[in-house]
Amino acid sequence: MARAKKLERKPLVAVVVTVLFFAWLYVPIFAVALFSFNDKKSLSAFSGFSTRWYVDFFHNEALLESLRASLLIALVSAVGSLVLGTMLAFGLERVRSRRGRVVGAITLLPLVTPEIVTGVAALLVFTGAGLKLGLDTVILAEITFSIAYVTVIVRGRLASFPLEVEEAARDLGCTPWQSLRLVTLPALVPALIASGLLVFALVFDDFVLAFFTTGVDPQPLPVRIYSSIRFGVSPAINAVGTLMLLVSALLIVAALMLPRLFKSRSSSLDLITGGERR
Amino acid sequence: MAAEAPHAPPGVQRRRSSQHTRMWGYLLALPTVWMVTFFISSMVIVVLLSFGTTTRDGFPVFGTNSGNFSALWDEVYLRLFVRSLLYALATVALSVLIAYPVAYAIALHGGRYKNALIAAIVVPFFASYLIRMYAWKALLSDDGLLNSGLRKAGLGDGISFLNTPWAVIGGLVYGFVVFMILPVYASLERMDTSLIEAGNDLYHSPLRTFFTVTLPATRAGLYGGMLLVFLPALGDFVSAQLLGGSSTFMIGNLIQQQFVEGQNWPLGSAMTVAMMAALTVLMVVYLRATSTKAREL
Amino acid sequence: MTWTTPTTSRRTLLTGGLALGAAAALPGCAYIRDDVPVAAPLPKSAKAKIDGDLVYFNWADYLDPKVLKGFQREYGVSIIESNFDSMEGMYANIAAGNQYDVVFPIAKWVVKMRREGKLRVIDHGQLKNADQVFYSGSYFNDPWYDPRSRVSVPFTVYKTGIGWRTDKVSGMTGSWEDLWNPQGARHIFTLDDQDEALGMAALRLGYDVNTAKASHLTEMKKLLVSQKRLLRAYSSDDVNNMNGGGAWIHHMWSGDFMYLRQGLVNKPQNYDFEAPREGTPINSDAYAIPTNAQHPGTAMLFIDYLLRPENAIRNINYLYYPFPVRDAVATFTELAKEVPACDIDVKDLENPDVFRLLSTKEVQARTAAWTEVKAS
Repeated sequence: MARAKKLERKPLVAVVVTVLFFAWLYVPIFAVALFSFNDKKSLSAFSGFSTRWYVDFFHNEALLESLRASLLIALVSAVGSLVLGTMLAFGLERVRSRRGRVVGAITLLPLVTPEIVTGVAALLVFTGAGLKLGLDTVILAEITFSIAYVTVIVRGRLASFPLEVEEAARDLGCTPWQSLRLVTLPALVPALIASGLLVFALVFDDFVLAFFTTGVDPQPLPVRIYSSIRFGVSPAINAVGTLMLLVSALLIVAALMLPRLFKSRSSSLDLITGGERR
Repeated sequence: MAAEAPHAPPGVQRRRSSQHTRMWGYLLALPTVWMVTFFISSMVIVVLLSFGTTTRDGFPVFGTNSGNFSALWDEVYLRLFVRSLLYALATVALSVLIAYPVAYAIALHGGRYKNALIAAIVVPFFASYLIRMYAWKALLSDDGLLNSGLRKAGLGDGISFLNTPWAVIGGLVYGFVVFMILPVYASLERMDTSLIEAGNDLYHSPLRTFFTVTLPATRAGLYGGMLLVFLPALGDFVSAQLLGGSSTFMIGNLIQQQFVEGQNWPLGSAMTVAMMAALTVLMVVYLRATSTKAREL
Repeated sequence: MTWTTPTTSRRTLLTGGLALGAAAALPGCAYIRDDVPVAAPLPKSAKAKIDGDLVYFNWADYLDPKVLKGFQREYGVSIIESNFDSMEGMYANIAAGNQYDVVFPIAKWVVKMRREGKLRVIDHGQLKNADQVFYSGSYFNDPWYDPRSRVSVPFTVYKTGIGWRTDKVSGMTGSWEDLWNPQGARHIFTLDDQDEALGMAALRLGYDVNTAKASHLTEMKKLLVSQKRLLRAYSSDDVNNMNGGGAWIHHMWSGDFMYLRQGLVNKPQNYDFEAPREGTPINSDAYAIPTNAQHPGTAMLFIDYLLRPENAIRNINYLYYPFPVRDAVATFTELAKEVPACDIDVKDLENPDVFRLLSTKEVQARTAAWTEVKAS
């Protein structure tokens, strides 16, 4: 912190923009939270406090099914992409062949492809292969899309991990798999958790891919929300939004607490933002 | 996320046994097969189907007809593409103007609240994009909160914020600005702040220091962020649908319509391919330009 | 992010090229198998008796929850609810083999599903309240979409017209031209719905609402584009657009207007609705039982239960859409007495302006026209 003090005084413009930015960021969120407690159906005038929309939500089997479906999709996608993305990160980081670079480029393509393209393409490949569209297809598409995030984050951490430690383990008699399991993987845990949380959160709220790859019921939550807002939304949706906000806030706080749990210097948030490789 | 691949020191590589390398090679196999099966092949199918037609009952069939593309070579669609491009570029520009000061203030003056502030930015972005967009629709409406506030302050009467190009662009910025803040924040964080002090000593002008020292040092993050905002903004169809007006249809809406109401997947595929082709050209130009800049450093 | 080396793109191109070549060798190869049967025989009706819980598939929030609860209490079964957001979505779920006991298709989808053998016959003799909709002289004895109402029972009817703010605009003429009323400039909305928007333009030009003729479509396209300088947006969220103050003149559905005026706003006298004289699309939704329903007996009882006038009345007061149930008709007329244009008389149903099932070619031609309107 001493470093910051030596800098020039705070740049006024930046501070003002930041304050305005936070206001802009949170106004609609407060509106959502506020109107989720409105006692009337209106979304523009608050007439009185009521929890009826939460009651509605918890009695709406279709919405609950969607919520469960989205949680399942996010969980399976996070685990699946963690496994594949970590394998890929290792392969790419340790195999420095031309073929490795080609594979590396391919896996990063989803990051530079607009989601609508990925969505359309996934729809075509699934229907073409005769798969029944449903939660399975959504999960397949989401994993494909998320592998790149895991790879980028884990690979970054792996690059900063001194290979000598692993070599030392092998000099002490470990097999390559043992040195991987006992030495390298534990060091990667914060990165794994961070990327798992990131993928979970991204997939849970992902609309475009889910929209194109979903089929039979239950619909993922964002798809259900989309279909209800086209024709005017019920405040039960605001209740859902408020609950989702709470859940994601908890997830982020968990991510912030991670470094304390693992006694590492840097926050796992740094992993997500890329600040780790300083 | 946007950073060049780290390179291991050259000596390390030579010491690796061939057995070891084979193990990593195996690790690479499964994800590679996965990506080829689900990603590359899907892209190939899009390209193939864009030359297809539909049967009497609306089922897509492969073919060798270029009619879908010639149908797109029309003034209406070209204008629509230019419009989408302009919206996406405006979104990028506004995102830079917002994200840079925010990232700067947090990274260099956030002190011990840095992480909390970044978390406060990230949290809302994970709470349903759709619900937040819908909330904007309610807030911006002619009798909405914003207008009633302005009316009370005597600043205007029923200004039509909603259903305008600016509402669409605003929605896009709101939706994607976080993808600019994070990489810029990361590169500011990584920057050696003594450079700024040196700059201040040298130029005696914070503004000049900013443009000659800080900005160039954070180019990588900025360029990465621009791409991360531009791509989703170009393909978005929610903002235009919820906040847009009668002439704000974007390329994402166009593609979505062919797949949902239109019963014309081949035409939708052709639109997707055309968009990807244009995007590839733009990206190549962009990467050439930015990598030259980066080398000048 | 790592940027690709030129080798990658060359290799990707090569792979793509190879695949392209392979596909070029199989032109006309079907991409999805097209094996939907047509003119299938109609599956037999079930007996109206409880044979399990009811799996219910409808638009979200489209019946009074109290009515649903009443059924569960009376018959001791539960209702498992699923929702669809578009007719395409409903159809896709049923076509994919999902099992529902009762569904709520729009008329033209009844045509499609009946033709494909996806709907069971509903024996009117099994329904105690059948005479509420199938009385002598009723339009629904032989509606256009389902000869002799073999597979469907009418649910609601609705028309599409123009809702407007009397405190903001005047000079409404009772024609579709009113959607071009300059007093409403930048506060006019057209429904973001292909059939409705094209139908509106066709009616104004004096064509059939289902026309797919190239010359007609060209004219309709021009007409709709000419509306753009006055138009605020295309949107199907008619209730909120009116309630939010942005819309002064809205192409809208009668039931939505009733809900807005009678159920939502503080000053109902400022809102009015008209059914333009060139013709207004009047369409209907129906109850139907899919062939693969697991509990068709419960579904029969459920439909019968909804036909009871007291339940229809409850639903009318909840949905603000008219139900063609004989002893409930007066309730809606009373509800709509300040806006008689929203009411639908039985003889209104003999109306040529219904959305019919069209061929794929026709749908594609119409989509192309509608896309160009929205894109320009």
